[in-house]
Amino acid sequence: MSNDLVLENEILNLIKSAFNAEGNVIKSRRVEVFVKKDQVSSVLLFAKEQRGYIHLSHSTCIDWIEEGEFELIYSILSPKDKIMLYVKTRIDRDNPVMENLDGIWHQLNTYEREMREMYGIEFPGLIGDKEFCLEDWDEIPPMRRDFDTVEFARKTFYQRPGREDAKDVRKTLTEQSGEKIPDFATKYSRE
Amino acid sequence: MNIVKDKKSQHIVDYIKEFARKNSLFVMAYGTGCGAIEIPPTMTSRYDAERFGIRGAATPRQADVLLITGYLAVKTLKRVIRVYEQMQDPKYIIAFGSCTINGGMYFDSYNTINALDRYVPVDVYINGCMPRPEAVIEGFVALQEKIQRGDADNGKKYQENIDWYRENQMKVIKNWNMPDYNW
Ligand code: SF4
Repeated sequence: MSNDLVLENEILNLIKSAFNAEGNVIKSRRVEVFVKKDQVSSVLLFAKEQRGYIHLSHSTCIDWIEEGEFELIYSILSPKDKIMLYVKTRIDRDNPVMENLDGIWHQLNTYEREMREMYGIEFPGLIGDKEFCLEDWDEIPPMRRDFDTVEFARKTFYQRPGREDAKDVRKTLTEQSGEKIPDFATKYSRE
Repeated sequence: MNIVKDKKSQHIVDYIKEFARKNSLFVMAYGTGCGAIEIPPTMTSRYDAERFGIRGAATPRQADVLLITGYLAVKTLKRVIRVYEQMQDPKYIIAFGSCTINGGMYFDSYNTINALDRYVPVDVYINGCMPRPEAVIEGFVALQEKIQRGDADNGKKYQENIDWYRENQMKVIKNWNMPDYNW
C-alpha cells in the first residue's frame, strides 16, 4: 500500500470542491469531511453512487454541550478504495432536527431510531416504534450529557452499601501522572 | 408439610425428599448480561455439570432453578419477575456475577438495577466478573447443601413478603401490566 495518500486526497478534494466543505485526511485510509446539515444527503449520495462508498459502517451522535450542538457522524466505506469516509455535520442542540436519510441506506433506520431515543433528535418521517431499547422512559434522553446518570441511579435503584470509597478513575489517573483535566471534563466529573 | 405424624419418620421422609430435590436441579438459564457465555462450558463435557444432576429445562414451569447471569436492565427485570412467578415451588434463584450483587461496573447506569435481592429472593450469589465454570459449579453445590439442610424455601418467603417485593418492583417498573398468579 502506498503511503502518499493519493486516493484519500482525491476523494477529499472532490468533496471539498463540489460541496464547498472542510475536511482532512486523518491518516491513511481515514478521511473526514465537515458539511452543512442540508448537504449531508447529497454528499452521501454522491459518495455512494459516484465513488463506490456503498457500505454504511456506522452512524452516531456526539453531544457538544458547551457549543450547544449535536454532531452527527456517518461513517461510510468504499470496499474498492478501502477508505473510510466520515461525513460530519452539526445541528442545533435546542432544536435537534435532522433529515431522515434511511432512503439512502435502509440500515440507517436503526441508527436513527437509536439517536432519537438516546439523544432526542427528531427525524421527521422516520418509521419505527418510538421505543427502541428503553421501556417507559420519562426522563430526558439518557445519553445527553446533562442527564446525570449517577444521580438518577442513586435515586432510582437501591445502592448496596460498600461503594462509598469508590473514586473517580479519571481523576486518580491524572493525579498520578500530573496531567491536567480539561475544564469541560471537570465540570461533568463524577466527584 | 408433614406427611407422617411421627417426628422421627418425618425426618427420614424429609431427608429423602431433599436428597431427591438436590440431585435433580433443572435449570432455567436466563442469559442476561455477559455471564451467559460461561453456561455452555459449564454444561458441556469439559466441566459437565450434569454429573451433579444439573441440566437445562425448556420452560419456567419445568424448572427448579432460575439462573440469572448478569446485569438486568429494568426491561429485563420485568421479564425475570414474570418467569420467576411462573415457576412452581420449590424454586431457587442463583444470581451470577457482581452485577447482580451490587451493580458491578454498571452501578451508575441509568437502566440496570443494582441489587437483585430487592426484587426477587436470591438463594445463592456467585461473585466474580464473570465467574468461571468452577465457581458456577461451586455455587450449585452450595445450593444443594442449602437444600439438604432444608432452608432453601425462598419461594414461600416470596409469597409471604410479596407486598415488600411488589413495592420495590413497582418502583422501577413504571408500567406494571403483569398477570397476578395465585400459585
Ligand atoms: S458481573 Fe461482569 S461479566 Fe457479569 S454481567 Fe456484570 S459486567 Fe458482565
